[in-house]
Amino acid sequence: MKEVDPNFESVARAHAGDLFRFAFWLTRDRQQAEDVVQEALLRGWRSYRGLREPGAAKAWLFSIVRNEFYRTISANARHAGHVDVADLEIADERPPAFGLEIRDALKTLPQTYAEPLALQVLGGFSCAEIAEMLETTEGAVMTRLTRARQTLKRLVSAPGARWSGGGLP
Amino acid sequence: MTCLDFRRLLLTGEPESALMRAHRQQCPACEAHAVEHALFERELGLGLSVPVPLGFEERLLDRLTVQGAPAQALPNPGRRRMLVVAATTVVTAGLGGMMWYRRDDPLAMDCIQFVMKEEAKSIMMGAMPRAEAVKALAEVVPLQRIEQIGQILHIGPCPFNGITAYHVVMSVMQEKITLLVMPGLMVSARKRAGHDGLHARVVPLRNGSVGMVGSNAGLLDNLAGVLRSQST
Ligand SMILES: [Zn+2]
Repeated sequence: MKEVDPNFESVARAHAGDLFRFAFWLTRDRQQAEDVVQEALLRGWRSYRGLREPGAAKAWLFSIVRNEFYRTISANARHAGHVDVADLEIADERPPAFGLEIRDALKTLPQTYAEPLALQVLGGFSCAEIAEMLETTEGAVMTRLTRARQTLKRLVSAPGARWSGGGLP
Repeated sequence: MTCLDFRRLLLTGEPESALMRAHRQQCPACEAHAVEHALFERELGLGLSVPVPLGFEERLLDRLTVQGAPAQALPNPGRRRMLVVAATTVVTAGLGGMMWYRRDDPLAMDCIQFVMKEEAKSIMMGAMPRAEAVKALAEVVPLQRIEQIGQILHIGPCPFNGITAYHVVMSVMQEKITLLVMPGLMVSARKRAGHDGLHARVVPLRNGSVGMVGSNAGLLDNLAGVLRSQST
């Protein structure tokens, strides 16, 4: 049995909650999210020694969780033969829904929107940082984030929507 | 910058630039729009912050510690979880958390069920004006006390357990906490329950009780202590 590097342990601990939440929005499943984070950190620990800049640690942790998720998906696809990352994206032709609770609305959000949104809101990353993680352009990230928010606002909007006034000052 | 530019930039979620601030300060319509949007962003943050499963961090570090063993050699997750829970129980009991052994209290469990099934509907039914909330809560706990522990996002009346309770959604240290202020519903001692990553505490107070639900049990215990010490 090996000792966990105390430095790695504290970094993992500090971000464990947000890594789980990020993995949840990738998998949409609590158990899978936990498995993905566990596997990612297990793999990540082995390559951790080369990383000494604390600021970079968070971005790196989110990236390894993301890599693990896509690795799992492609492994499952090989086994099942029919699962594809694209299947995770919900078709845009779904029936219009209104007045949803925001978390339910988030669950209907296509992966391409949910992923940068979770990185921005949970991880606190800028569009430029997200673009680097997703290997795309900053403009593409801004477009996805804009569409994500537009979609959510549409899904949760209803007479008496919570942020359209009323209630406490 | 035009109003359209301003509103487009808001939707990207990037921090406000000097240009945006300048536009907002001289455009009342966009100022109002920005305030509404800030409320949406707050809801979005709470929506994305799904509760973390009980014991998640411990399992994570536990797994890292035994990483020398291949994954297949580890006990199955169910059994492993039981072992970790058992170990955590011993530690918690050792720290004085004797309540850990007690069964989930039905009223506390109802509070969790409320959050899982009724909360959204209750919020949609509408908030009450602050002045009304002050009056309604006064006999159990002053609203000002609740305001001291965190930021209130919603307060409204809701039917709960055969009475009219007051449903309070708050953000406390960036965690979402739900309170159910229950006038006239007296309990003899503090109650607790846990289910699906959520925890509940019911605290006896003057002329009623308050149920609290959130994903961080330690934070709930602290808040329970604060509410109780302030009421007596
Ligand atoms: Zn304007």
